[in-house]
Amino acid sequence: MANNYRYIGKSVPRHDGFEKVTGTAPYVADLKMNGMLYAGVKTSPYAHASILSIDTGKAEALPGVRAVVTGRQGATKLGIYMVDRSIIATDKVRYYGEVVAAVAAVDAETAARAADLIEVEYEPLPAVLDVKEAVKPGSPLVHEKLGEYAHIKGVFFPVAGTNIASQIKVCKGNVEEAFRRADVVIENTYEQPQVFHTPLETHGTIVQWGIGDHIRIYSSSQSPFSIRDLFSVAFRLPKTNIEVNVPYVGGGFGGKSGIHMEPLVGLLSKAAGGQPVKFIPSREQECATLPCRQGLVAHIKTGATKDGRIIAEQAEYLWDAGAYADYGVNIGRAGAVTGCGPYAIENVSVDSKTVYTNHIFGTAYRGFGHPEVFFGIERQRDLMAKALHMDPTEFRLKNLLMPGSRTITGELITENTGRADLCLKQVAEAIGLNTPYTPEEQAEFKKTGRYRAKAAAVLQKSPAIPTWCATSALLQMNEDGTLRLSVGGVDYGQGTYTVMQQIVAERLGFPIEKIHISHTINTNLSPYDWQTVASRMTVLCGNAVCEACDDLKEQLLEMGSVILRAAKHEIAIGDECVFVRQNPHQRLPLAKLAMGYTFENGNAIGGPLIGRGKAIAQGLTNLDPETGQGKTALDWTYGAHAVEIEVDTHTGDIDILHMVSSLDIGQVMNEALLRGQVVGGALQGIGTTLSEAVYYDDRGRLITRNFTDYKIPTFRDVPRKVEVLSVETPQLDGPYGARGCGEHPLIAVTAVIANALANATGAEFFDLPLSADRVYMRLHEHERE
Amino acid sequence: MKRSIHVTVNGIAYDAMCSENATLITLLREELELTGTKEGCGAGECGACTVIFNGDAVNACMVMAMEAEGAEIYTIESEAENGELSDLQKSFLEHNAFQCGFCTPGMIMSARALLNKNPHPTKEEIIEAMEGNLCRCTGYETILAAVQAIAGERDGE
Amino acid sequence: MPEFLQPTSLTEAMELLREKQDVRFLAGGTDLIILLRNRTVDCRYLMDIKRIPELSIFQYTPEGLTIGAAVTCNRILHADFFRQEHELLQDAARTLANSLLRNRATLIGNICNASPGGDMIPACLVLGASVHTCSPGGERVIPLSAFFTGVKKHVLRPDELAVKVTFPNKPGRGVYLKKRRIRGHDLTQVGLAGFYGEDRSLAFAAASVGPTPVLIDGIGSFSPEELPGAKEEILAKVAARARPISDVRSSKEYRLAMLRYFTGLAVDAFAAGEKLEVLS
Repeated sequence: MANNYRYIGKSVPRHDGFEKVTGTAPYVADLKMNGMLYAGVKTSPYAHASILSIDTGKAEALPGVRAVVTGRQGATKLGIYMVDRSIIATDKVRYYGEVVAAVAAVDAETAARAADLIEVEYEPLPAVLDVKEAVKPGSPLVHEKLGEYAHIKGVFFPVAGTNIASQIKVCKGNVEEAFRRADVVIENTYEQPQVFHTPLETHGTIVQWGIGDHIRIYSSSQSPFSIRDLFSVAFRLPKTNIEVNVPYVGGGFGGKSGIHMEPLVGLLSKAAGGQPVKFIPSREQECATLPCRQGLVAHIKTGATKDGRIIAEQAEYLWDAGAYADYGVNIGRAGAVTGCGPYAIENVSVDSKTVYTNHIFGTAYRGFGHPEVFFGIERQRDLMAKALHMDPTEFRLKNLLMPGSRTITGELITENTGRADLCLKQVAEAIGLNTPYTPEEQAEFKKTGRYRAKAAAVLQKSPAIPTWCATSALLQMNEDGTLRLSVGGVDYGQGTYTVMQQIVAERLGFPIEKIHISHTINTNLSPYDWQTVASRMTVLCGNAVCEACDDLKEQLLEMGSVILRAAKHEIAIGDECVFVRQNPHQRLPLAKLAMGYTFENGNAIGGPLIGRGKAIAQGLTNLDPETGQGKTALDWTYGAHAVEIEVDTHTGDIDILHMVSSLDIGQVMNEALLRGQVVGGALQGIGTTLSEAVYYDDRGRLITRNFTDYKIPTFRDVPRKVEVLSVETPQLDGPYGARGCGEHPLIAVTAVIANALANATGAEFFDLPLSADRVYMRLHEHERE
Repeated sequence: MKRSIHVTVNGIAYDAMCSENATLITLLREELELTGTKEGCGAGECGACTVIFNGDAVNACMVMAMEAEGAEIYTIESEAENGELSDLQKSFLEHNAFQCGFCTPGMIMSARALLNKNPHPTKEEIIEAMEGNLCRCTGYETILAAVQAIAGERDGE
Repeated sequence: MPEFLQPTSLTEAMELLREKQDVRFLAGGTDLIILLRNRTVDCRYLMDIKRIPELSIFQYTPEGLTIGAAVTCNRILHADFFRQEHELLQDAARTLANSLLRNRATLIGNICNASPGGDMIPACLVLGASVHTCSPGGERVIPLSAFFTGVKKHVLRPDELAVKVTFPNKPGRGVYLKKRRIRGHDLTQVGLAGFYGEDRSLAFAAASVGPTPVLIDGIGSFSPEELPGAKEEILAKVAARARPISDVRSSKEYRLAMLRYFTGLAVDAFAAGEKLEVLS
């Protein structure tokens, strides 16, 4: 964008670097307090079993053990959207790794030994290990009492007596009729396993449940205010009794949103007479006990006319939500709302079922259902293009949402919504999508057995947030005229706080080095924020910060007007002063106003300057329960990826030679941070394409429980070249026209690689991961016949 | 059973008490309260706990505390001297070579161990030395660039 | 709760072994520390063997290349004094885990862990390695080909300390190829060591294709010109000795396919007299 910004759009260095590179940034595991105890947990060795008895006697007798809790103390149910999860398993366990008892002891080793000494008697139950089986009538039920669970009515729709935690349908037009009219109809089923977030820091938690039910929590979390809220609801305590602190967070990726170990650790502290208790899950516990990303079986049927218009699409999504769906039901909903991608399709039907199984339960994960959905959608686009004998880019362009079209939920796309088509064109051009390989190159492929090909895919996402989602910001001036910014969102690596500093610096013409932002959140001191998820901080927090700046500015102009004796509209702010526009020598340093202004004779006016800002999601509506029509999108970030890969047909290995990503983020706030999000997110997408998958044995016991078995990308697994491009279609109600991009780099990466694999080898894949062994076996199938 | 061991960490000699069962990471973090070294997996797979042990970069979670008797160890706390960030730390800041920061101390120590032995490593040598340090946030690009800048070699891409 | 022992001489180590029962040896600890942490393994005593001077030997002796029990894989990887035939050990070491772990993991540790997928073992097998041990009852030398008895099982007695591995000097060149799930550090899906002696003898050894690492020798003698024609026969001989299983890392069919592919690559390299780049 050709704006003359001083800070916006610049690669301003991050504010929290000093602490991180010196190792002085405190994470939960680094915190210690007097009398602190350590937690250990006893977990289920079965995927599904009744708990017949628990004998904690030996554990309680072990020297150094201060408390033992079981489902007896932990029966309270929790849940952000669906209240289906008790703090500790009560009558039965629903996944391998579920907590059945917990211990607080003087050190971690004693706690672990005590947990081992707890004796639990189980009666195994038939386990539901396949989501396709879970929806069939007669399947064992994971939650017999589903019909009684509290949930947000009118938004989520549990089907009592089944394993369907929630079913959302979104329809538009008449798909049956349109399929009859279509010239080409294709139908495919796409399957993806669960995957892990693997933040480098596990879900560390410290809770002190003090006398009078005064609770202090330290948590590695994306959601301090949600923890306070859910804790308060679960234990029926006033919110003001609960203080949540979030220090530095070592990665979240969605897995640290909502509430996790805090209530359990709180119970331990209460049982230990109020001593603080610390629980730092091991990597194995992080994998087996803490939640993952849901799996998905997607059945997609698409109908198009022979000139390339998609006129009908029907999608059925079965989300393997695992044992609990307190957060999962919203992912099923988000998947339904995004339904068929950024395409203008007149007749659409999406049926999205969030289904319980006896797998690890799923929670929010970067992309919130979109990476999963877009695997199917963007594969289907390439397959339809092939069926139509059309170039896949032309085919997409012919169908993408443009200003004037409507989304699946009936939302109108305007000139300022964003341009998926421009993103697609950018990446296609940058990678030379339609530049064919020369005969010499092709001969080389044949000779070496290493085939190259390119492909592209598009993506979209809007934040999946409640219609009333809000945030706030405070901007205070210190005595020396520097600024102190507080927000309630968490910067767990994305660089949000740096962007907020840039906004303040730009808006007030203030040097960025003099804008400080506290890195830690305390719900008693920080202004409210809903949760740091959904790529919503740039827009919502950014808007709140803008308002706080404007509020502060008003106060500065007000004071300036009085002291400099000029009309308010004649006062300006610059060079850390207020001054009279026409006579700039008439000026006052802001520091003189910070705590109020003192006249020569001693009279004082004004007072400490505090700028207040807030933002709430604008114009969102609930979805019609029948048709799913409504406006849920705060904003849409569109984008596209293109890749060139090389497939070694001798081994099945895929090498990513070149990746180009483009996002329409309205206004690039910080080039370096954008690149960081894209490169990091794309690699996470590559990991979930090529090597990551959660595996269980045939009894539902987790096999992949550490980094030895669950392989995430290393230094050696990066693409050879990554280009990051952007389109800037201004978001008129975003700060400086900006939209968020934290999740988007991950979306459609699986599809674009699978599309390229098909182009290179002819092998069409409908499931993940595209690991070398699976690719190889498919390529050499014919040899075995 | 706690025993006393004599160990030099960041140039300071300690007589530390430690359980015979403990690993070095427990000795450093709990006993000596040097919490800059982070635990990501406890099994030598992620490198978050990288320290320099008698000149070699190792996972502190994979060394028994008792083995540290008489050893010379450097942790992230040794990088900055007299309040001045080291060249490597400054390079990480300049290159935006971190996001959540949890892998950062391990990354810096791995790089430092390499640079101590080889002040001008090639890109391949850097990757070989640091391959055992996992990062989930950055995609590794900026970390590599930060180390290459100190190594004085730029890959021509 | 193991008690920690740190003998500073072989004599002291033997005395301790005479007195005490249930002792486990700590070399690099990269396998053992994990087993102890997970409580998969327990013992009364943990003996750190790294302060015994004899166990640091790393040089050529009349017995050939001699690598003491305390010598790490990174020291092996970065050694600059190896004869051409022993460079195979460096190719193997390069694929083992990652540099941080290689600064601790020892060759003896990899052998004594006796995993069917041990990265160093195929190279040691084709090079005709022998393990030298010391126990209160005496010393013995065990050819590596007779060392393994099952998954993570070997012939050593509980009080028997492996002190060094020796590799005879045998002119020739080797190749080590390892297939893994990602380019970064991983256990083997399949590993293949091949050795082509100057006397034209051919031997292979494979990891992760059976309950123990497998040595396939007695394949025959071939001139470089004869090798291409004999490739199919050689592939069949190697594949016949493989009994892989499917696990979280790989299907058995893929292991077999990669074993054949790697054997073919090795044969081609030997025929051409070329040094093969290590494949990952």
